[in-house]
Amino acid sequence: MKRTAVLAGIALVAFGALAPAPPAAAQQPIKVGVIYGLGGAAAPYTKPAVTGHEMAVEEINAAGGVLGRKLQLVIRDDQSKPDVGVREARDLILKEKVDFLTGIIHSGVALAVSEVAKEHKTLLLVSIAKTAALTEDKWHRYVFRATSNTLIEGRAAAILLAQQPFKRYAIAGPDYEYGHRMTEDFVAHLKKLKPDVQVVAEVWPKLGERDFTPHINALLQAKPEMVFSAIWGGDHIAFVKQAKPYGFFAKTQYLAIGQGDLDVVVPLGAEAPEGMWVSSNYTFYYPDAPANRDFVAKYKARTGDLPPSGAAFGYTATHFLAAAIRKAKSAETEKVVEALEGLTMETVHGPLTIRGYDHQSNKGQFFGRLKKVPEHPFLIIGDLQYVGGEKTMRTLDEVKALRGQK
Amino acid sequence: MFDLGGLGDPAFLAVQCLNGLTQAMFLFLIASGLTLIFGVLGVLNFAHGSLYMLGAYLSYTITSLFVGSPAAFWISLVLASAGVAVVGALVEATFLRPVYRREELEQLLVTYALVLIISDAVKFIWGPDNRSVSRPAILAGSVDIGGRDFPTYNLLVLALGPLVALLLWLVLSRTQFGRLIRAAANDREMVGVVGVDVSRLFTGVFALGAWLGGLGGGLAAPVGAIYPGMDVEVIAESFIVVVVGGMGSLTGTLLGALIIGQLNSFGILFFPRFALVFVYVLMVVVLVTRPWGLLGKPLAR
Amino acid sequence: MRGYPPALRILLATVLVLVPLAFPHFYLLLATEILIMGLFAVAFNLLLGYTGMVSFGHAAFYGLGAYACGLLLKKAGAPFAVAFLAAPVLAAAAALIFGLLCIRLTRIYFSMLTLAFSQIVWAVAHKWYSLTGGDNGLVAIPVPDALAGPRAFYLFTLACTGLAVGALWRLVNAPFGRTLLAIRENAERAEFVGVHVKRMQLLAFVISGGVSGLAGALFALFSRGAFPDYAFWTKSAEVLLMTLLGGPFVFLGPALGAGILIVLNSVVTSFTEYWPVVLGVILLALIYVFPGGVMRLFRSRATPAAADDVAMASTIEARR
Repeated sequence: MKRTAVLAGIALVAFGALAPAPPAAAQQPIKVGVIYGLGGAAAPYTKPAVTGHEMAVEEINAAGGVLGRKLQLVIRDDQSKPDVGVREARDLILKEKVDFLTGIIHSGVALAVSEVAKEHKTLLLVSIAKTAALTEDKWHRYVFRATSNTLIEGRAAAILLAQQPFKRYAIAGPDYEYGHRMTEDFVAHLKKLKPDVQVVAEVWPKLGERDFTPHINALLQAKPEMVFSAIWGGDHIAFVKQAKPYGFFAKTQYLAIGQGDLDVVVPLGAEAPEGMWVSSNYTFYYPDAPANRDFVAKYKARTGDLPPSGAAFGYTATHFLAAAIRKAKSAETEKVVEALEGLTMETVHGPLTIRGYDHQSNKGQFFGRLKKVPEHPFLIIGDLQYVGGEKTMRTLDEVKALRGQK
Repeated sequence: MFDLGGLGDPAFLAVQCLNGLTQAMFLFLIASGLTLIFGVLGVLNFAHGSLYMLGAYLSYTITSLFVGSPAAFWISLVLASAGVAVVGALVEATFLRPVYRREELEQLLVTYALVLIISDAVKFIWGPDNRSVSRPAILAGSVDIGGRDFPTYNLLVLALGPLVALLLWLVLSRTQFGRLIRAAANDREMVGVVGVDVSRLFTGVFALGAWLGGLGGGLAAPVGAIYPGMDVEVIAESFIVVVVGGMGSLTGTLLGALIIGQLNSFGILFFPRFALVFVYVLMVVVLVTRPWGLLGKPLAR
Repeated sequence: MRGYPPALRILLATVLVLVPLAFPHFYLLLATEILIMGLFAVAFNLLLGYTGMVSFGHAAFYGLGAYACGLLLKKAGAPFAVAFLAAPVLAAAAALIFGLLCIRLTRIYFSMLTLAFSQIVWAVAHKWYSLTGGDNGLVAIPVPDALAGPRAFYLFTLACTGLAVGALWRLVNAPFGRTLLAIRENAERAEFVGVHVKRMQLLAFVISGGVSGLAGALFALFSRGAFPDYAFWTKSAEVLLMTLLGGPFVFLGPALGAGILIVLNSVVTSFTEYWPVVLGVILLALIYVFPGGVMRLFRSRATPAAADDVAMASTIEARR
């Protein structure tokens, strides 16, 4: 009889009887599934991103919703694992019956979930993940990206630095696909714009490296004039703190892509090196336009903090989706896909367009050099320039070629 | 890729060597706790990285209480490591003591469960954002070594490593507690038979190990970022140090730390993209050729 | 390990086959995932429960199986049968190589070496971008049209796991299985009785690895992708936990554990992001309250000493 109990137990569990089915979904709200890696190194981006999504939804619903229907978010954690992302995406599409998917920070998860979106013909608007492949060779009708990608950012840095007199460059990147792609795109474009630059050294610390001192020493030994770095987040904080007493920032220039953002600049505080070159995905102080000021005020009122890039990612993506639904006058995927293609919208970054051909937004990056200001205990970006995506996106011919080759 | 000619520069090599040495001292501090716990209790403490992480977070909190005071760093170092020692003692008494009579696997799993719980607890208490503490002002600068700058803070680490090693050696060889530890490491049951309160001894050893881990965390905090997930990085490195040096041997841990520190330091010059695989390849090589490590006891456990 | 009454076997089989007809798409996917992980766990348990060897690196074989199948399908354009069957073969081959080195060690050293090997597999998958896609993974694995629908894939998975589990069941009820038990209880004594302990352990390692590779291939097809973290230590920890949760001393215990863990994860993560602490508490509960896993609630086992003699007696008999 024990065996029977065992088998019964197996049967019961195997049928997933424990998972409660949600009550019959009221037809009214438009459900949007949001998938992010909510833990680990991604959290400083994704937690504010979720807040950004929520803020946008509240605004939209307070104004009467979209087409008279409320927006409803269903938020899931992909644990930065592609197979969990796939499972959550399927859960959202099949069980929760979401109308659209958005979110995602990890590039591997983005690519995996993109496949699920393709299979189920669900619109996926990626808000953070940067892998260029998503809108290049792995593109399909249902995937969109509201932010920039590694190519856009790398090239933008190249455009900026090509105007500088530096000839000896060094590269520092975390040793994974993002690090390699970002730096490759940068170097390729820089050499095109300024053929006489040389790369005198490269270091590839692993993601999550604790000790950068051997890399720092090696970089200095090569005597570069400018070090281009894709090191980000907690690793960037560690690198900066360790590099300073080696006189690193006095001996060479350093451009840390994406590290002008609040999530690293605030913890570093006064330790952030003045004059360090950075870019940021978003700045709360530029553009000093109503849309941005408004967003900052609302975010501050809600959380007590200034909004980091993560919040802008979530906020912008949600508004794009809502705008597309309104333009399509329908929440049907096929119509919204067509409405989103080529859609231009005013955002906290200024006007952005999602290109029709590859569903890639023309969002660029904010570049400049860190400087101290009396109003804040952290450094902000001075000499700020926005290098827009139009200057750096792949041309339509390039995209065609990439797709043709696949 | 690298101008290899430049690598012959003695000042460069000296600094690189010192970098490796500094890292070795960090590794030794942290891994010594691990090896002590394994040597005496027979438990491979997966949660050691979590204790390190707790040390870093606690030092962040304590430092923020003493903002502006030049002694903030020192106070927080002392208090944070002590705090982790207390947590360690509590954890041992509550969770590990009931399973000492059980299989090794179950003890290991208890420590793994603790990793999961502590990791979420830290995320819950301190939130997911990156945190940072600064070096104390007197250690924030650099010294000159052959025309190059070398961080003064690293000198502290370079001094603390041998100091702690000396302290441990003194405790083990000159105190009653130390004698009991050595005896228990050799024959746990005999020690109990002789009338020693083995439970209290084990708690003490675990607390000592935790103190070392927490100290490592507090020391590492000003030179890195503090974030949930920092426990995982450190535990892998500690394992390899302990495997190379010999599980249960403190001298072995010191040796292992020195080797790993220098290999990392110079390895990146010749094999820049293999940092990821390197640690595990080394582990395989050691386990296949001499599983008990350089100074461990041949498969006594 | 007596046989299950035939009536119950038929009942179970019928029920499992009818699942696709009764349940909506999402639950079908959940059931498929449970079958795959259940297979992995049962294969893993051949080593843990039956031979007494704790591997911390079984994800290596799972991951290798997944990549083998995925790469052959996607990059080499191999026919489905070839790609699919190559997975357990390649995984078994890797298990042979790793096994030869691992079985020379015991206990914690054995475990650590298995861990180190699987981390190397992970690191290679992570770094070999041109082959595996690095940490972006191998996406868009082409699944043959016949299997693309959820029902078809479920039935295919059911068939594969059924066959594999059936084969393993035969194996553990044959003298081989009893020999393994004898080795688990007391390897020295088994050696004295004439068992080639190391050879048996290696064989168990290889079979366990090969079937794990099969599970990996199934999962790659299921997710339409293969990613480095299929070989990461957390996957090895997952299968270990499933096995312990369900109970390593009953053949299908690990499968039960797989089911419970997957469903729990699915439910808990829809409410909170703090899944690790839930898992940690379950693990502690397992150790303090249910030492033999959930199966302990159901079984009334002989004491270990008696089991020892039973296993030894069977081995001696088998060798006559």
